[in-house]
Parts: sequence; structure tokens; C-alpha cells
Amino acid sequence: MHLDRTRLPLPVALLCAALCASTALGQAVGLPAPRLLTTMPMGGKVGSQVEIAITGESLDGVDELVFSDPRLTAAPKLDAAGKPEANKYVVTIAADCPANLYEARLMTRLGFSSSRVFSVGALDEVVRGKPNTSLATAMELTMNSICNAFTSARSIDYYQFEGRKGQRVAIECAAKGIDSKLTPVLVLGDAEARDLVVERQGGVLDFTLPQDGKYSIKIYDLTFTGGPTHFYRLALREVAPGAPVVPQPSTVAVNSFSWPPAGLPEKAATAENEPNNDGSRAQKISLPCDIAGSFFPAADVDEFEFTAKQGEVWWVELASERLGRPTDAAIVVQHVEGTGDAEKLTDVAEFSDIPSPVKCSSINYAYDGPPYNAGSSDILGKLEIKRDGVHRLRLTDLFGGTRSDPANVYRLVIRQATPDFALVAWALHMELRNGDRNALSKPMALRGGATMALEVAAVRRDGFDGPIELSMGDLPEGVTACGLTIPAGQSHGVMLVTARADAPRGRRSVQFTGTAQIGGAAVSHPVRLASMAWPVRDHWSESPSPRLLADVPVSVSGFEAAPFTITAAPGAVLEATVGQKLTVPLAHIRRSELSGSIMTLKTFGAGFEGVPRFEVSLAADSSQAVLDLAALKTPPGDYVISFYGGAVAKYRSNTEAAGGAGASQPADIVDIVVSEPIAIRVKPAEKK
Amino acid sequence: MKLSGLAVARQRESAHRQAPAHNAPPARKPQRSFLVMNMKMSGSDFTPRRRFVLRDSLLAVVARLVLAAACFALLCLTANAADRGVSFVNDVMPVLTKAGCNAGACHAKAGNGQNGFQLSLLGFEPQEDYEQIVKKARGRRVSIASPDHSLILLKASAQIPHGGGRRLDPLSAGYAVLRQWIAEGAPGHIDAEPQLDTFEVQPGKSSVARGGRQQLQAIARYSDGSTRDVTPLALYESNDNAMAEVSEDGLVKIQDIAGNLAVMVRYQGHIAVYSASIPLGAPVETVPPAKNFIDEAVFANLKQLGIPPSPVCDDATFLRRVTLDIAGRLPTPEEATSFLADTASDKRDKVIDTLLSGPDYADYFANKWTAVLKNRRDEVSDMAGNFAFHAWVRDSLLANKPYDQFVRELLAATGNILGNPPVAWYGRVTEPNRQLEDVAQLFLGVRMQCAQCHHHPFERWSQDDYYSLAAFFTRVGHKPEKRGGASRAEQMIYHKRGVATATNIKTGQALKPAALGNPMGDIAPDEDPRLRLAAWMSSKDNPFFAKALVNRYWKHFFQRGLVEPEDDIRDTNPPSNPALLAALERHFIAGGFDLKSLVRDITRSNAYQLSETPNEHNLVDVQNYSRHYPRRLPAEVLLDAIDRLTGTQTDFANLPAGTHAIALPDNSYNRSTPFLKVFGRPEGESVCECERVQSSSLAQSLHLLNASDIKGKLASSGGRAERLAKSAQPVEEKIAELYMAAFARAPRAEEVKTAGEYLAEPRTGSDGKPLDAQRAARENFQDLIWALINTKEFLFNH
Repeated sequence: MHLDRTRLPLPVALLCAALCASTALGQAVGLPAPRLLTTMPMGGKVGSQVEIAITGESLDGVDELVFSDPRLTAAPKLDAAGKPEANKYVVTIAADCPANLYEARLMTRLGFSSSRVFSVGALDEVVRGKPNTSLATAMELTMNSICNAFTSARSIDYYQFEGRKGQRVAIECAAKGIDSKLTPVLVLGDAEARDLVVERQGGVLDFTLPQDGKYSIKIYDLTFTGGPTHFYRLALREVAPGAPVVPQPSTVAVNSFSWPPAGLPEKAATAENEPNNDGSRAQKISLPCDIAGSFFPAADVDEFEFTAKQGEVWWVELASERLGRPTDAAIVVQHVEGTGDAEKLTDVAEFSDIPSPVKCSSINYAYDGPPYNAGSSDILGKLEIKRDGVHRLRLTDLFGGTRSDPANVYRLVIRQATPDFALVAWALHMELRNGDRNALSKPMALRGGATMALEVAAVRRDGFDGPIELSMGDLPEGVTACGLTIPAGQSHGVMLVTARADAPRGRRSVQFTGTAQIGGAAVSHPVRLASMAWPVRDHWSESPSPRLLADVPVSVSGFEAAPFTITAAPGAVLEATVGQKLTVPLAHIRRSELSGSIMTLKTFGAGFEGVPRFEVSLAADSSQAVLDLAALKTPPGDYVISFYGGAVAKYRSNTEAAGGAGASQPADIVDIVVSEPIAIRVKPAEKK
Repeated sequence: MKLSGLAVARQRESAHRQAPAHNAPPARKPQRSFLVMNMKMSGSDFTPRRRFVLRDSLLAVVARLVLAAACFALLCLTANAADRGVSFVNDVMPVLTKAGCNAGACHAKAGNGQNGFQLSLLGFEPQEDYEQIVKKARGRRVSIASPDHSLILLKASAQIPHGGGRRLDPLSAGYAVLRQWIAEGAPGHIDAEPQLDTFEVQPGKSSVARGGRQQLQAIARYSDGSTRDVTPLALYESNDNAMAEVSEDGLVKIQDIAGNLAVMVRYQGHIAVYSASIPLGAPVETVPPAKNFIDEAVFANLKQLGIPPSPVCDDATFLRRVTLDIAGRLPTPEEATSFLADTASDKRDKVIDTLLSGPDYADYFANKWTAVLKNRRDEVSDMAGNFAFHAWVRDSLLANKPYDQFVRELLAATGNILGNPPVAWYGRVTEPNRQLEDVAQLFLGVRMQCAQCHHHPFERWSQDDYYSLAAFFTRVGHKPEKRGGASRAEQMIYHKRGVATATNIKTGQALKPAALGNPMGDIAPDEDPRLRLAAWMSSKDNPFFAKALVNRYWKHFFQRGLVEPEDDIRDTNPPSNPALLAALERHFIAGGFDLKSLVRDITRSNAYQLSETPNEHNLVDVQNYSRHYPRRLPAEVLLDAIDRLTGTQTDFANLPAGTHAIALPDNSYNRSTPFLKVFGRPEGESVCECERVQSSSLAQSLHLLNASDIKGKLASSGGRAERLAKSAQPVEEKIAELYMAAFARAPRAEEVKTAGEYLAEPRTGSDGKPLDAQRAARENFQDLIWALINTKEFLFNH
């Protein structure tokens, strides 16, 4: 059953929810997936060995800890008897490993776990030992070190250090940028912990000490929540006067996948030149241009003036939010006529926001889109010059009226059309039961016979509207990938990754690529993979934290199989003439008891999303899908489609099923079922 | 301590919370003075009743003469009307207004008036009123052929049933004016009539002795050069009925409270103010030395009024008072002991600086600001946003962010709450109309609510002023536009490009932003108009912004604003000490809107440091600051004080142990901590500080006497009672510690004796058997602490 929530009045929806409550309450969403949730510490010093302890979910049968860079390696920690200690590893950080963030993952019985950020830096590191939730138990810090710790609920962590009068210190609490749930409040206080300065935005507390003596640092969560998931890395550094303070590295937001455009130099050719706050002081530029500037001070307005001719077409792109800044850029381009009091300005174009190429969830009763937003408050748009003459571009930050932060930088590029694209992908989310608002992290840990769908979103640049082919290479043995093309003019595609039923256990960091023909040449770009940092079960009660991953890991369990597989019936001829109906026979493979009798399927594939939902019997060994090619207006050609829906498995892990320790009653778990890719051919009508 | 003036203060506070009722008919029967009642309650030997008898008999003749003069003036008006024909707008409307017909509670009631007869409030829309009277209801409200059978006259004179009772005597001059107008054919000619140009009251100001009388004369001047005495037709309202009452005919009857008084006089949409200085007339031989401009202004006023001030308070009183006022807590026994032992001449200034540099100051004033900025929790998901907003306010105060910058950051906030917490205010106050009303009342001390639907009845603000102010907020954009299930913390605010305008619902005209009559010129579509508003507010010549703040802060330290209520500053509600308010405003602006500096100026003054103990003259003074006015500790401060005295901590959900009540981020803790609700902690529903209940109640007394949480604190394991009972200290030292903790002073000899005797008493259990010495000692200490908590000296800041 699928209820279209948008068509139900709220009382009816609530009634339905209540009626289904008994089912829903007993039904979990998402088959078990291995997830690495915490490491302690969360990083280490270049060229050192670090002993770490890990926690997570569904981590049975862990046999290795791996990183996204080979310069980081790990081995199980051995006890005095030479036996591995549970959940403890020794990480070796090579001397040539650059200071940065890396992905750490566990290879479990089910395959790759979700990843957790591991930081590599140049400072000495310590791990907090004893509780330090009072001034009396404050932990002593040494200058130029990092302390790894986590906050406790309803508590404040206390630290102390010795400082000198006039000493400039930079204190920073990395949290959100390293996947932590902590919203840190960082307070520098005097020896008695009386507040001197406070930092609540995750930034660096840059402070020159007023006198010799002891100083205190307090750290707590904004709402005083805590626990091991609220980890942080507290860095205390001495900084020379006038020297820049470089913050600790941070993960990047999903929408930054579309920056930079291909071939953009690392440094802009032109710097913004203040004062340029009004038309009379507009900075003169010529097109094309590449400018670096900042929204500073508060309510900053940057005006640029250029000359252009009627009919010219330019593309304007600006990055600021995609550089990690909390900004919302807006541009107005105006034609300037006359001078002085006689000056007349006419709007030519207005730019604000890059809309998400895929409608994302509006966080209502249940999903109405993916919980990922690939759009941005940055700018990407077309500027058509309507009249010859002087033009002014007025740039503002719609979030910058009162904030004065020179770190709110931007990069403005105005170029002639350079058609191109950028791609991002994430594991498919869909409503699986009434009120389902899960935003789970979904590692690509494939069960045998499973097909996992990744949604792919494209940001198209400078008028490029051709089709984009998706491919995935260097896959583990027994795994195939089939990209459903992003059609011309559209922004949404699907990548299906399938593990053969007998695929052996394996893991790889794969190449995920999108390719298109642009200007007669094949242009390829990597597809960035996004994931949730945490398995959020209900994103009304907890905001999800999506981010980009550093790589694209694919793995196969080798132990556990998918509960239910749908494929095209073997040997079926899937051809039809245009305008006819094509019947697709489907084979069902059940490897687990299923709950319920039917399953509703929808269809993936360009031009086939309009196939009406249809039901298949879960008890039957086969079914069929009928594609009305006339109704779909499918032109002749070769296509790949797939069917998908939600089914409830009475899940019992293979270990339990085999009667192993911990065997228990099977649990009802609903998850997405995606058929293997199905190739069909639509033939042209025969000429009479 | 003596708190006999408290009853007066409370009554007056209550009276002040009742804003001038623009929607009520003019008061017909002056109420008995609060002061008289309170003077009797206080046991003073002053005998106002006898004085009134004498005064009434002497002035009865004067009053009759005044009444006669008023009637004569009205008759003259009638005669004038007869000479030139009765004007609807200049003759009829004033009669209807005076009779209360177009009051908000009567036919100007929003919606449909009364029984379908709708008049504009106080006659602000004469053309509409003419239509209603002459043309609506099929014209049966006036009968030109038989004026006496006009419905309007029959009803108003109650010759037929009228819900509003008898508003016009058939023999009155007002009735005659209406009748004559009808007899003349009920002419309109509104545009052709002379316009009322100016209106004044004479005298504009005067000094009147207590118990004295002042007859006011209302003069209207018209565009044709004519002048009319409209004394009987004008409306009069005293800003303080305890100080003076005004008759319908403009006779001001001064009561017994010395000070400054204002009477608002209204006539046909115009307003004039009469100001009275009412001296006490006592000899003021000495005043404390002036330490700063505040002292100069306060003591000059007292000298002028003849009110001798109380002396400067002792060190213990000062320390307790200033710590409570700045840091919202009691001084610790260590602080008190150290301060009392300090012999430095500037030790009071130093302790002020210490308090201002501490986080308690930020916590306490953040508590004050977040309530009026409506930081309330309606949903669980509000928590993060509320915490962030509270923290932003608190951090701003800790860093002593200039007030104009603080307001600018709030007013023009953009982004999301966690990134820029003042955005939270736009999540709470979502509509432009509410935004302008809150901003005007909170930051400008101007109440604009009335002007949304009609011209402000006792202010100069029109509907155009209202919507011009609303226009500043019309370009506030929300992302996402529909909130859905997103928490407030996920909402984003941005400036939506476009020309800002707001539509006057009455005229349909789209109005550009203008700040209380100050046009802003053209604001480009790219410019956030809120930044213009913020710039205007913080300009050095803004007549509202700094004044509203210094008045609000003055009230914080003196219990009564120079203008009361503190957020209702208007020409018709002048300050009790205009020179002082102007000086505070001037210094605040010159100092760069420095809040800590303002607090420092106030608390360093001898005016602030006066004793609360009245002298033989100044007990009656409740507006000139001739002594310190005691007030009950606010709910949060009192709870923290009890915690400190009992040596316990109140547990607040989700917050670390030891969190003080003054540091609570939002109102949600009122539900889980009944103490806070009983003692009036606000819920953050109103922009007015009056939402905080500062009055006393039976529930509060019962709570302190019986509530389980108080008992639990007294008997707490590890609490002060238990510790003292176990301690081997001499009992005198234990008593001294308690007094130092509760009152920041050492106990007096008789207090030591009384307490010592009580502590030495044996106790018996419920079974009548003697308790062991240890338990008896603990219970005796519990009783002693309980008794101290229930003293006025503890419950009040004095």
C-alpha cells in the first residue's frame, strides 16, 4: 500500500498513521548496514602511530580497518598475549601523509561500513583520560597540541593552560567538520573559569592573553547534549602576531560537488578592489573575468562595471557557499545610461541561488524527495546583453547585512559559454512506511543478489543539455554497474550496482564517472558520492548531516544474501514495436520469509518513470510488468529500466539463521528492493 | 527594615499597568485616591480625610463657579453655532466625542460598532460618521422634519432604551447643538468648514500645591482665524490618578503626592498636555554630594519639589542591592565579609566594575532581554534555536556590544539561527505588523498597535505612520518559504529584493518605509530597508531610541521608570524628571551606546545608593527617587537566592547541575519548576516587561511556607542546615554566616541572641520523644533558615 500523502487532509493522514501504528511500530526501516560511528581519537600526528578504539552498528566480523589513502594503515591492537583486542586498532600514519581529512572504514561481515572522518595533522595529540567536568578536575593542556575528547550530557568539559601576557593563542574545537554531533560552545575563561570570550560558530577563538597565568577553556554542547557521538578535537596553538590562523580541515557540503568548473585556475586573475560599494566607485572590469573578493564588512556591496554589446551572451558563476561560507549571494546586472543625476539604470538580469537539480524533501509528514540538496545559494546563470553600453554588476550577500567576517569570501567568474556538467550521487531514499522520515547513512555493502540504486543529480553549466552516460569501473568481482542515462535536458539519473548472488566477498574504491558529448568530444567527470554522516531515523527529531565522501567505496558481503531479488525472467525477449505494449516477465527469488502479500513497483529509466505503479505478488515466483509504449510515447531505441519498491523481510542474519549464538526471533524490516537492470528494445514501426 | 511604602508602590504599579483606556468613555466619577487608602494603612499620623473636608468645603464654591463658567462657555458655543449654523465637524462631532458615543467600547467598537451603528474612533473620520448618522439605517437616525424624534437624540437621551444609557441630558447644551443641527437639515459641508489648526491648553504648566486645584482652559484655533474655548468639550486624562484627578470640565484636583504630573487634553484629534509640578514644600537642607550628572538632576528636582532625600545607605545594603541588580544574585558571604572589611574610599565603584565584568551580569540581563524578545519554546525542536538565541544575547552583553549594534544585528538579521542567532526573533515574530509593533515598543518606547486600525487616540501616529513602519519589514524573505516539518533552527531569513511598501488597509495606498514620520527617501530594491531603519534608530538625534533604553534601564535599578510604563513614551506621558531623562539619553549616546557604562553611571550615583528608609517627608514620594524603592526579588533571582542560602541546587532539565535560574535560556522551565511560575517568571509571550508578575500573592506566601521544594531545600542532605548542624564552629559564627549569606550583613546583637536561643531549644519528634542533639540541631537550623527566607529583608531588594 502506498498513500499519496500530499492528497490526504491532515486528519485523514493522522488517522491512517494511527491505524498503521501497530505495523509501523513493529517494523524497522532499512536492513542492517555496517556503520562506523566513532573512533577515539579521531586523528593523529603525521609520522606517528595512534591507538584507536571504535564503535559502530552491525560491525560483526570486522576483519580490517581501512582508509581512503594508502598512507594510512591499521592493524588490530594486540593484547599482552598477542591476541587482537576487540574494537581497537593501531593506526600508522606515514611521514609523507599530508595533513588532511581521510575516510576510515571497517570491512565487516556485511561489507564496508559507513565511514568516519580521520584527521591527520602536525600537532601533538592527546586523548582525554579522566572526566574533566569541573574546574577542580580540569585537564592541563600544553600549547600547540590537540586533545581528542567528547562531551557528556548536561556537563561542561574543563581544560587549563598556562599563558603569557601578550601571547596570541588560537583555540579551536573541531566538531561538525569531523562528523561530530556536537554543536560546540568554546569558552576561554580566566583561572577561575569566568568567561572572557565565547565562540559558538565552530570558528577559531583568536585571543591575545591579557596577563601571565592560568587560563581555562570550557567546552559544551549548545543544548548540553553529549555522549561518545559528541566528539571533538580541541586545538590549542600559539600564533605569531599578524600570522594567519589556519583552521583545522573540515568535511565539505554536498552542494560543493559543482565547484570548481573544469579548468579554473586555483587563484583568481583579479582581486576585488574596495571601495566599490556604489555605482560611482564601481570597479572597472572587462569580460571575461575571474575575481576573488569577500562580503566584508557587514552589508558589503561590490559593484563592477563593464562594457558589453547587444547580443553578447555570458555565463555568470559565483561560489561562496560552495566554498563553505554561510552566505547567500545575489547579483543584479543593470544597463547604465547617462551619468550623474541623469544616470538611468535598467535591470538586465538578476541571479540568486542554484536550484537543486532534484526536488529534495520538504521535511513534511514523510518523504517527498531525497534528503539531499544538491542546490546552493551560490549563482550560476546566463547573462544576455540587450543593449550596447556600460553595465554594472551589483553583488551582495543576502545573509550579510549585519555580519562582518572577512572569511566570507567569494569567487566570481564571468565567461563565455563553456558547456559542462557536474555530478553527485547518493543512495536512494524513499518512503517505506507511513511517516517514514529516515535519513540513514547507506554504505555500499552489497548482499549477494542485491541491487543498490544510487540517485545521480547533475548541475548543468552554460547551456549544456545533452545526455550524460553514467558508468562505474574497477568494481569488485561479481559486481556489475549499470547507469541509467541522464536524458538530454534533464538532471536526474540512476546508477544500479548489482552483486551477483554468488559474488565473492570483496571491496574496492571504484571509479564512478559521467560522460557526455560536448562540442564533438567526450567529456568525463567523476561523480562525487554523498552520504549521511549518521543514521538518522527521523529527521524531524534530528537534522541529517549529509556530506561528500572522499571516494566511492563498493563492497560485497560474501556472507549474506538479499532477502528478495527481482530480475527479468531468463531468456525473455524484451522487444516491442513502437506504440505497442511490451510485457516484461519478471522472476522473483526469495531468500527470506517476507511479510505481506504484495509489493507495489515503480519504474526507473528515462521516459519510463510514467509507467503506472503496479503490484506483484510476493508469494509468487514470477510476475510481469506491462509497458504501454503508446501511452509512454516511447520512441524506437534501446533502453535500460528497473523496477523498485519496498518490501518487508522477516530478517534474520545468516549467522542467526544458521543457529549461531544470538539467534532470535526474525525482525520485520522494510527496505528498498530494486530489480536488476532490464534492457529492452523498442523497434520502429514496420513500413507498410 | 521598613517596607510601608511598598503598598503604595504596588498599587501604583498596578495602576500603571492599566494603559490609558482610549476605548473607554471619559471617567465620570473620580476614584478615591490610592494614596489616601495607603496612608491610612501605613499608620501615618497624616490625616488626609480631615484636610479633604476642609478643602472640599472651601473649594466647593470654586468648583461651582467653574462648572457655571463651563456651562456658560458651552452655551456660548451653542449661541455661536446658532449664529453661523451648526457645523457637523466642528460642533456636532465634539459633542458626540465628549458624550463618549465614539469611544472604542461604544459605537467605535471594531467590527460593527453597536447594533450596526458604527462611528469612527473619537471622530477621526468625520465623513464616514456623517454617512452613518445621516444616510445609513435608511436615514432614520435623524428626522429633519421632527428633530426631537431623531433616533440619535432619542437614544442618546435614553428616551427610548439605549444600551449605553443616558449620554445626553435633553436639557443640556450638547443636546441642543445636535437638535439644532438636525433642524437645520443636518448639513455636512465637511470640506467647507474651517479646519482645526491648533489646539492648546492653558496653562501649559504650573506649580500647584498638594490639595490644590487648577482649572484648565482648552483653546481651539481654526483655519479661518477664529478661536474657541472648548473647555467643556475637551477630554481630560491624568497620567496618574493617585496624584491628581480631572473633572470633565477640566478642573484638576491635586491630591497629596508631590511630584510631576501630566494631564492629557484631547479635542478632535488634537492633543495638548498640561504639566503640573506639585511640591512637597519640605525644607531640603542637605542632599548627598553629587557624584555625577544623575545626582545633579535627581537632587535638583528634589530641591525644587521640596522633598528631602533619605541618606546614602550603608555598605551592606549597597552591596546586596547592587549585586542583586547587576548580577541577579546575592553576594557570597566571602564577598560580603571582604567588602565590609574594605576601607578603601572607592570600594563601591570597584565592586560595580567587578560585577559588570563577570558572567553573572551577562546571564542576568540576558534573562531580562530574552523574555521581551519572546524566546519561548513551543516545540521540542525550538530548543536549539532558543539556546542559540539566548547565548547570542548573553554573549553580546558579556562582550559589552554597543546597544545600537545589538539592535542592528537583531533588526536586520539574516541567515539561519545557528549561524546567526538573532534570526530567531523572526521565527517568533513572523508578521510585519507584529514586527513593527514589537520593535517600536521595545526599542523606541512607542506603542503603535492602535494605529493599525485608526489614528492613535492619544498620540500623533496615523495609520500611514503605522504602515510606513511596517514597510521596513516587507522584504523579509524565508527559506524554505513553507516551513513544513523543518524546525525553526533550520529556517533562513534573507533580504528579498524589491521595493519595500506596505499597504494602508484603510486607504489602499502603498506606502514606502518611513520611521515614525521620518521619510527614508528612495530605498533601492537591492537594499535591505531594515538596515536603514537600524541606522535611523541609532542616529545621534533619534528622539526615541536612546531614551527608551535609558528609561528601561533606569526602571531596572529604581523600580519605576522616569516614564511609566517604560515602553509608552509619548508627549502625553512626560517623564517625571525630564532633565534627568535627557541627561541619561545624552550620555548614553555620547558614550557610544555603552550599556555597561550606563549601568556604571546609574549605580555609582548617590541617587541609586540612597537608603530605602524614608524620612519624615519622603514616604509619600514614589516618583522622584528621594529614597530607594524596595521591590520583591524576581522569581529567578529569588530561587537562586534560596538555593544559595540553603546550599542546594535546583535541577533544570537538560542543563548542567549548578545552572542558575537567571541563566535559563527560555520559558520552558516554568513548567517544570512551579516556583518560577508562582513568582511570576514571564512566558515570553509579550514584548512588555509587565508580563513579569512582580506583585505578591497568597500563592507565593503559601509556596514559601508549605511547598515541598522549599522544604526539600531546607532539609537537603549536604545543605547548609546540615553542614552547620554538624560543624564545630561556635554558634555565633554559624548565625553570622547565615546572616551574611542572606542579608550580606552581620547579625545584630538581638538577632544573635534570639537565633542562639532558638538553636539551643530541644526538639521532640512526632511521637513526643526528644530528638537526638544532632537531629535537633539540624532541624533548628532548617527552621532558622526558613525564617530568614520568609523575612522581607530577604525577599526584597531594598
